[in-house]
Amino acid sequence: MTDFEGLLGALVRGGVEFILVGGVAARAHGSARLTQDVDVVYSRAAPNLGRLAEALGPLRPYLRGAPPGLPFRLDVATLERGLNFTLTTTLGDIDLLGEIVGGGGYDDLLPHCVRLRLFGMDCLCLGLERLILVKRAAGRPRDLEAVAELEALLGERGGDR
Amino acid sequence: MSRKRSPALELKSGPDPVVEAYKRDIDRTLLRENLRRTPDERVRELVRLQRFADELKRAGSEASRR
Repeated sequence: MTDFEGLLGALVRGGVEFILVGGVAARAHGSARLTQDVDVVYSRAAPNLGRLAEALGPLRPYLRGAPPGLPFRLDVATLERGLNFTLTTTLGDIDLLGEIVGGGGYDDLLPHCVRLRLFGMDCLCLGLERLILVKRAAGRPRDLEAVAELEALLGERGGDR
Repeated sequence: MSRKRSPALELKSGPDPVVEAYKRDIDRTLLRENLRRTPDERVRELVRLQRFADELKRAGSEASRR
C-alpha cells in the first residue's frame, strides 16, 4: 500500500520543488477514483535534482517492474540523464516526471497550479482545468473515464479551476 | 540544464464522444459529497479506502487458500 503522506512528506521536508499531478491531484480536487501511486512533476533545476535525490534516497527508490539487482541509483547524475522515472520505494510507488504530455515541465505548469494543504503540508497541485487538459493530451483509453469525471467535477464546481 | 525542452502543447478541449458517454454514468452525488470536504479530507479518505481495498484483497487471498 502506498503511503501518500509519507512520500509527500519526504518531498516537502526535503524542500523539493514539485507539482502534484495524476490520481492524487484528481482526488484532492474531488475525484472519487482510487489511485495506487503518487505522480509529481519535479523541477529540473540543478539544485532541485540534488534535493530530490536526497529526499528519496533513504526510501531505497528502484525502477518499478525492473528485475532485482540492477545497479540503479537515484542520484543527480541519474536524474540528469533521464527525465521520467517510475519508481517503487519503501513507502510505495512514485512517478517522477520531468515533463508531461500537454503540460510541459515544472515551470510551464506553475501558472496552472493551486496551493493545497494536504496531510498538514502545503503542496502545489495542478489545477483541475489543466489536469483535464493533460489527461486528454495523454490520450490513453483508461484516462477517458477519468476525464469524464474531472469534467463533471469542473461542472459541479461551476467551472473554476 | 542545456537540454532543450519541448513546449507545452496547444490543447483542444472540445467534447469527446467517449468522454461524453462516460459522463452519463457518473455518480454526481458522490462528487458533490466530495466537494463538501476539504482537499485534505479528500486525500485522507483515499488513504482510508486504499486500506479497505487492501484488506479486502488480503481477505480474498486468504479465503481462496482455504
